[in-house]
Amino acid sequence: MFDEIQKVNNGSKLVYLDNAATSQKPSVVIDALNEYYRSYNSNVHRGIHFLSARATDEYEMARKKVAAFVNAPESSEIVFTRNATEAINLVAYSWGISNLKPGDEIVVTIAEHHSAIVPWQLLSEKTGAVLKFVSLTEDEVPDTKMLQELLSKKTKLVVVHHVSNVLASVLPIRDIAKWAHDVGAKILVDACQSVPHMVVDVQNLGVDFLVASSHKMCGPTGVGFLYGKSELLESMPPFLGGGEMIKDVFLDHSTYADPPSRFEAGTPAIGEAIGLGAAIDYLSEIGMQKIHDYEVELANYLYEKLHTIPGVRIYGPAPSQTVHRAALCSFNVEGLHPTDLATFLDQQHGVAIRSGHHCAQPLHRYLGINASARASLYFYNTKEDVDDFIRGLVDTVGFFSSFK
Amino acid sequence: MNSTTATFRPPNPNPNLIKFKPNSHPTHMTSPTVTKKLNHLVTEFKTLHQPIDRVKKLLHYASLLPEFNQSRKIESNRVTGCTTQVWIDATINDVNGMSFHADSDSEITKGFCYCLIWLLDGADGREVVEFRIDDLEEMNVGILPVRASSRVNTWHNVLISMQNRTRDLMLMQKYGGDNNV
Repeated sequence: MFDEIQKVNNGSKLVYLDNAATSQKPSVVIDALNEYYRSYNSNVHRGIHFLSARATDEYEMARKKVAAFVNAPESSEIVFTRNATEAINLVAYSWGISNLKPGDEIVVTIAEHHSAIVPWQLLSEKTGAVLKFVSLTEDEVPDTKMLQELLSKKTKLVVVHHVSNVLASVLPIRDIAKWAHDVGAKILVDACQSVPHMVVDVQNLGVDFLVASSHKMCGPTGVGFLYGKSELLESMPPFLGGGEMIKDVFLDHSTYADPPSRFEAGTPAIGEAIGLGAAIDYLSEIGMQKIHDYEVELANYLYEKLHTIPGVRIYGPAPSQTVHRAALCSFNVEGLHPTDLATFLDQQHGVAIRSGHHCAQPLHRYLGINASARASLYFYNTKEDVDDFIRGLVDTVGFFSSFK
Repeated sequence: MNSTTATFRPPNPNPNLIKFKPNSHPTHMTSPTVTKKLNHLVTEFKTLHQPIDRVKKLLHYASLLPEFNQSRKIESNRVTGCTTQVWIDATINDVNGMSFHADSDSEITKGFCYCLIWLLDGADGREVVEFRIDDLEEMNVGILPVRASSRVNTWHNVLISMQNRTRDLMLMQKYGGDNNV
């Protein structure tokens, strides 16, 4: 799977622990992209010729695969976007502008990715809606009790992540969806860190909108998706205009296609969507429950090993019988900048981790830090990878300590 | 207030650091041009084949970075867009000579800053503005291509910040204003 990537590291072992940023791609995904461009490259929906029909079939098949993967009732409830960020912006600009007025409230946690904060700030500026933020408990998980208390008849939308890309915590989405619906609000879930790692069932969770990205789940970059309940998507105006999103265009007005086409203006990322379909086949063949169970084991192993290193502070809840962390740890080492740490791990040990704010500056400010290091795993990582990382980290800490 | 061109003389280096490869230190060169300085720096880093040696070299240079005036850690001196926190203070003298000071919460970033300041401190403002980020690529510090604009590309962000400050100061010099931004 990683043959070519290992060559980048001069042939020596590369331990890739930056999966929360993006995943590696299995051959079947690369082959699917290759096959599209080599064998049936054509635009979708428009041509009557064989190639266009084949491309359209495969593209729409990918939509069906995504729908089945998250158990959406209809494939028309899946809108392909460039990424999860665009999917969130689609809801903000389409549903948000049509449904929010001054004084309405959007409840968001401080642990959201910037992509799930900034669109609502922009929307607030346009509509006069107010953002309400949920902070963390002492265990460093978003405070669901506070979230419940913030909900009122003024609340029109609740925006929450499913799994935190920094804290590794998992939110009870089913409960939050019920609480939101009890006050008449809608719920949008950022599932970028859950869809690749566990069974996600939009019907069971009861969510109105859910977004995820392809590249974090073994698929290509450049494509993501929005799940939206059909009655909501049908009521929403277009986000972008032009291309395949129309029914009829006149000089003075236009009429619009039904969802999902209404929200897919212009030529979509055809090959990439097909590649995402191949990634879903790949993950489904392994089994999402199997992947999740294995990753819980890896997550505990990573946490326990990291926890034993003196001076290491791991953010987020401690794992227990009842608290399952995602297979990632954001952490800092006392007296050592995470970027220095990540640079040395990369240069000296061939271990790829992330340093910075992980697109979660408000959360980092709340935690009293500017940056953190993050090791994030996927199902193809092993306990040996964790051991390599820990050995490298211990060496890194020792190296920098010797210069003090 | 017009400042004078500061001679960039590093304090006594940390003896632990200087033990490692006490290469001819760049500050010992006499009146080199920016190009000559750059060639020297590129050669120096190119001779270090192991990544760990290049990191050590940067840490060595970090230890030589003069202490930054804490009162100058103001928002307008912060370099935006880095994963680390970086501050750059710049002044210009009567003959367009630039002087820079820098600090960071990351040791490796401090090493980057030291190299950039050593290259450009005392240079004419126009030389600073015309310096090309691509020229640093050959130094091969880190695997990131230097030309890429990135949150983690400290070389790029710090240099751009130094160049922007220089442009502002040159304009102020020309049209009047505070020579310290």
